[in-house]
Amino acid sequence: MTDELGALTTVFTEFYYWITVVLMFLIHVGFCMYEVGASRYKHHQHTLMKNTMLIPLVTITWFLFGWWIYWAFPTGPGLAPSIMNESAALITDDSAFSAKWYVPSSDLMAVNLGDHISGVFWAAFLLFSWTAASIVSGAVIERITTFAFGILAIAIGSVFWTIDAAWGWHFDGWMLKILGYHDAYASGVIHAVAGGFALGILCVLGPRIGKFSSTGEPRNIGPRNPWLVTIGLFLIYTGFWGFYAACNIPIFDLGPEYGMEGVTYFTATNIYVTPTTLSGITMNFLMSLSGGLLVGYLISKGDPFWTYSSGLAGIICASAGNDLYHPIQSMIIAMIGVVVAYKMHYWVERKFKIDDAVGAVAVHGYAGVAGLIICGFVLNGYPSSGYSVGSMWVGTDYAPINPLGMFIGAIIMFFVLGFLPGWILAKILHGMGKLRIPREVEIAGLDYDIMEASRDDEKSVASSTR
Amino acid sequence: MATVTNWIDHLSAKEVQGAVYPGVGTEGILVLIALVLWIGWHVICNMQETSKLEKLARKRHGASDYKNNISDW
Repeated sequence: MTDELGALTTVFTEFYYWITVVLMFLIHVGFCMYEVGASRYKHHQHTLMKNTMLIPLVTITWFLFGWWIYWAFPTGPGLAPSIMNESAALITDDSAFSAKWYVPSSDLMAVNLGDHISGVFWAAFLLFSWTAASIVSGAVIERITTFAFGILAIAIGSVFWTIDAAWGWHFDGWMLKILGYHDAYASGVIHAVAGGFALGILCVLGPRIGKFSSTGEPRNIGPRNPWLVTIGLFLIYTGFWGFYAACNIPIFDLGPEYGMEGVTYFTATNIYVTPTTLSGITMNFLMSLSGGLLVGYLISKGDPFWTYSSGLAGIICASAGNDLYHPIQSMIIAMIGVVVAYKMHYWVERKFKIDDAVGAVAVHGYAGVAGLIICGFVLNGYPSSGYSVGSMWVGTDYAPINPLGMFIGAIIMFFVLGFLPGWILAKILHGMGKLRIPREVEIAGLDYDIMEASRDDEKSVASSTR
Repeated sequence: MATVTNWIDHLSAKEVQGAVYPGVGTEGILVLIALVLWIGWHVICNMQETSKLEKLARKRHGASDYKNNISDW
């Protein structure tokens, strides 16, 4: 860096993403507290450890191959040509945004004086990966083995969400070009895919012992500690601020980027490099949170668990288009999303005997899908990219945002990249006898031995006189 | 092992080398080590967890037995 203004822009961008990473760490703290609060006393410590250990597992695999997948797969491969090299193959050539630079042995994947951005951008995406895996973690508590969860966390955190991000959350993604897909703050690429993945696992894993009566009536289990759940959800809200900021590029000159001769236009952009403002999305964030809370309180008749979760579901539902919506549109969309999530949760629970312990499939999956579909109607006709806009299905330029494309996008996120891989992997793990803990352990409690040892220690210490 | 031994020489070079970590050129070996550690962790933890779960399952505790173990330090 040799000119002051360029250096300032680079260092500002570096620091901007660094701050988002720190904020997003709170999402994971929140998920851990939430899960421990929702689990029963005899499973607390294992529940906490399961969610904690996804941090190193997803981080290492994100370093080894997850980040590479994001940069290699925007073309499908084979579905739409890249605007960088006009090839539909995996992007591994010498172009500026090629996956070639992000193999784990690349010298850009380290302290490099010539690159101030790759590391913090890598970390911001990694925190999204933790979130995807953590969403799944809550749904399967108290009966999955830590081994199986580790494998599944890597699959969703470092493989499947990364593929969907390359397809639909990348300026060169084929879903933008062919479907006009738009998902600015990840209704689909994080939430719908993780919700679908969790549902796929739950279908194979089965409910907790005692969740359903002999006649099939669902019973309520917990949460054991509603205060921990409350703090957990507030921390997730807090981390979500960082998540929103991390989905933006803080400063970008769109004039030369779009090939407009003689035009200089500095702005913040979303991940697709189309303009938005941090100011506007902040209003939308708060209005969608409020819409979610209002309806959640109403529909659940003041149940705290559902009210807090609905605040989150509201943001998730409005997120796809929160870069462009009016704040009141955002609030109304959030309200619709909460009704869909709440009603679907209980319908699926009764109909298919699915035990989603924390409502993760509903809050993330159903609200995310609803958000994508609604976005297709509300933003119908907006360009999905600033580079060029053409007609749907051509694939060489970008289709505009449209209802059909967004509906197909929602199916790809929830079902193709979420539900199916989750179901298949769970089936394989089940076949190996590795998916679920033994029945006797589930009844006794995963923490039985730890608690017994602690009691023995307590007795020994209490009876000591010196 | 040191990639930089003099910052003045390093930064005044015609083309400043970006990679400054120790052992530039050994990245492939480092990746192999990371792979072994990652896979090895899964193998060992799986064995530990399996034996722990089997041992606890054999004891056949009741659903409320854990309450006798609640400590209050």
